[in-house]
Amino acid sequence: MTGTEPVEGTTIRLNLTVDGQDRSAAVDSRSLLVEALRDGFGVTAPKVGCATGDCGACTSRVDGLITKTCMRLAVSAEGSQVVTTQGLAEDGELSFVQEAFWSEQAFQCGYCLPGMIFAATELLARDPDPTDDDIRWALSGNLCRCTGYEAIVAAVRTAAARQREHLQRD
Amino acid sequence: MTVQADPRSEARAFTGQSLRRHDGDDYVAGRIAYTDDLTLPGTTHVVLVRSEVPHARISVDTDVALARPGVLMVATGRDLAEHVGPIPNAMDPAPTGGQALELRVLPNDKVVYVGQPLAAVVAETMQDALEAAALVKVSYEPLPHVLEAEDALADDAPLLYESWGSNVMLAGTAGHGDVEDLDTRSAGVVRGTLRTGRGAPAPMEPRVYVADWSTRSRRLTWYGTTQAPHPLRHSIAQFLGLRERDVHVVAPPVGGSFGFKNFGHPEEYLVCVLSRLLGRPVKWVEDRASTLRYGARDSRIHYTASFDADGRVTAVSCDLLANHGAASATGAFGMAFAGSLAMPSGYDVAHFRCDWRVVVTNKGPWSPLRPFGKEAGALLMETVMDAVARETGLDPLEVRRRNWVKADQFPFVTATGLELDSGDYEGLLDKALTVLDYENVRREQELARQEGRYIGIGIGFEVLPEGADIPGALIGASDISTVRMDPSGDVTVLTGVTSPGNGNDTAIIQIVADRLGVPMDAVSIVQGDTDLCPFGFGNVSSRGILTGGGSAALAAEDVAAKLRGVAAGMLGCESPDRIVLHDGLASVVGEPERALPVAAVAHALYTVGYIVAPDVEPTLEATRTFKMGNIRHHADEEGRIMPFSTFSNGIYLSVVEVDIETGIVDLKRHVMVHDCGVMINPRFVTGQFTGGVVQGIGAALTEEVLHAGDGSQASSGFKTYLLPRANDVPAFEIQHQVTPSPFTPLGTKGAGEGGVACTMASLLNAVNDALSPLGAKVEELPAVPHRVLEAIRGVGR
Repeated sequence: MTGTEPVEGTTIRLNLTVDGQDRSAAVDSRSLLVEALRDGFGVTAPKVGCATGDCGACTSRVDGLITKTCMRLAVSAEGSQVVTTQGLAEDGELSFVQEAFWSEQAFQCGYCLPGMIFAATELLARDPDPTDDDIRWALSGNLCRCTGYEAIVAAVRTAAARQREHLQRD
Repeated sequence: MTVQADPRSEARAFTGQSLRRHDGDDYVAGRIAYTDDLTLPGTTHVVLVRSEVPHARISVDTDVALARPGVLMVATGRDLAEHVGPIPNAMDPAPTGGQALELRVLPNDKVVYVGQPLAAVVAETMQDALEAAALVKVSYEPLPHVLEAEDALADDAPLLYESWGSNVMLAGTAGHGDVEDLDTRSAGVVRGTLRTGRGAPAPMEPRVYVADWSTRSRRLTWYGTTQAPHPLRHSIAQFLGLRERDVHVVAPPVGGSFGFKNFGHPEEYLVCVLSRLLGRPVKWVEDRASTLRYGARDSRIHYTASFDADGRVTAVSCDLLANHGAASATGAFGMAFAGSLAMPSGYDVAHFRCDWRVVVTNKGPWSPLRPFGKEAGALLMETVMDAVARETGLDPLEVRRRNWVKADQFPFVTATGLELDSGDYEGLLDKALTVLDYENVRREQELARQEGRYIGIGIGFEVLPEGADIPGALIGASDISTVRMDPSGDVTVLTGVTSPGNGNDTAIIQIVADRLGVPMDAVSIVQGDTDLCPFGFGNVSSRGILTGGGSAALAAEDVAAKLRGVAAGMLGCESPDRIVLHDGLASVVGEPERALPVAAVAHALYTVGYIVAPDVEPTLEATRTFKMGNIRHHADEEGRIMPFSTFSNGIYLSVVEVDIETGIVDLKRHVMVHDCGVMINPRFVTGQFTGGVVQGIGAALTEEVLHAGDGSQASSGFKTYLLPRANDVPAFEIQHQVTPSPFTPLGTKGAGEGGVACTMASLLNAVNDALSPLGAKVEELPAVPHRVLEAIRGVGR
């Protein structure tokens, strides 16, 4: 929590690297990180579903760790590197996980995707061949009200297989 | 011999294929803009001041709040009553003998539930509005409150709406026949009570409404989370006293609806009047606690059923008492009516009667919730079937076989007057039994019992009345679509149905692309904008593909006929009937070398029409309506109408293990077989069912909105209202059966509401099957651990 600079009243200036771009925005010092991202930086990929850390819709990667951004105050993220689902697609190419979520119809309304996609991405980074139980456990910090999870589990399985093929090729 | 092109087989490259969502890349890459992602210049923010008590007269002092920096307005019900009247009712109970509902966006002088909005603070920023809202002073003059429906019926019960003279909003009777003296004329009688706790729709995206009154154009533009843009436009115009054309409703993609985002909520109209008074955009964003104040179910059914010596159910009578919470303009009360009509499900019961009452109490209002009360039909009848099995010693599967409507009995008129279009219920069960080795599972159950483990097998069967057309309401079994081809050959579909995530937008593109013989990416779809799209009823009652898809198919066929005519002339073919549209080409059937790109045919009609098609009206655009033909609103001799058009159905077999020490129910297997007729995109259909199943698992095992005795709501977030998570549910075993509807152009039936009801029924039956060696029985859902333990402890008391 250093370097945040008061602008006026409760407004401060927050510096972040968002999806690879160095950005700066005026935000209310009382903001949650998700509020600062959405209202201050205009970054709308993370959603607010509960604001209590239960649903995961606000998930982004902050300094390498997947983070429910409603569980952090914006000022605590000064200078951080933030990656959203929008930035997860490198050079506009969908990641294996994103591609698999699309091909397996692993979402309906799409509101839970930030949490689901980051949870799946993190799982596959540490375990290239998870069991279905591993997948369900890894996803369990996030809520989906539409799909019944079945297709999400299938998508993570598919993404894992694609990632393994890719690693073998290299 | 002339070879005729078969218009049905020529172009079905996409129908029936599980294609991925046409815009799915935008979803997974976070590029979809939901309502809360839109920011209009000059937007002001609303924070609602909410009641802290369940029932009281109020007076509100806004002076301190109004003086805070950034605050533009603090409105009370009394302030707004000078400008606007009551909220128009999405459905009105009064014409069918119910109470007159005159609900305000904010109450004038009385609150009736904890959390009810009673004042609105509008400020430049959300933070300013939040600070000021805390400074609004509310004086409460408390009144006695009532939370349970039975208590609300007492003579001395406090009245929520004094002018009614009681707390009964509406009552009715479904069915006919002789249900008196069942004991004296039957082989046996079963009796019981079923209760369902209060559930909540709880979509991941809370509601968000933005109203923008333009002082220049004198029009109101409304952006928000709604399933029904056109009905809402009508309703807002009525509320504000504007011409309907001066209201423009825009519905961006929504983050889940499940009935909650149909219209009639106070805040939808509140932002309109505030924007009109301020002349600036006004935005309201709901929080999670507010979404959970809207509930459903919370019902009690007393039932009596008689059966003959062969285990055939001869008569059922029941009394359904529904706890609606506070009144609402959303038409949610219709869930009790729909629930009664959904009885006696797909069973051939000669004598049936359901007396139902909708009662108001000091809880938050009911909201429409998938499957709109119809779970009552499945829960009642599946409970009765299991009870008859226990009494007769017959296997529960056999009892169902003896009682349900047989495949050769369709169309079949139920005891409540619904004309079931088609079905093969026996076929459903046969398919389920290919997946689950029933005899073997029964043997395993027996062995487990010997080891002191409590395995249960439950059966749930549902028949869902869908595709509703409600007399007097803007809920209709028809829709309009426009299909338009540009000179470049690109196609635009404009439709009044909306797609809250279910994929029916992609499915409509599949239907249209097939008929025009063009690739999927040549077709785009425009929805959710009342200035652009033809009138439509939005997304309710599982009718997106029935009527939206049906009308798009008809319109596409008209454009295809035009293309065939032009192409026939250009290709020197004597008959347009011999032209097929496929793979981007218009060709003569059987002569693939005589072909032109469809886009070239379109371009020619626009640019050299006087040469290539001098007698053809040069429009490649058609607007068509599809209306379900089997709706009947004229009452029959028994006063019954037929407000539903299709009846998809399903059977589920669940295997659970109950830990009798902890009361925890573990769902081991869930076999699902569904029949919703023809599937345009089977994976989208499967997604509807798996989603419905998990909502059913929640309703059966974990989800319950609880209130403390003082009327405060104990379930206000996802730590206290427990949606199932990925590790709470097993992998499902899914089968489909296809019995096409004879009444829809594509053979489809509704698919949006399946899975909830039969999951609730199969889990209830499975838990009770598991507990049967103990003589214990759960009669209330959700079967949370304490309820299971109480059932076990209650034995022998």
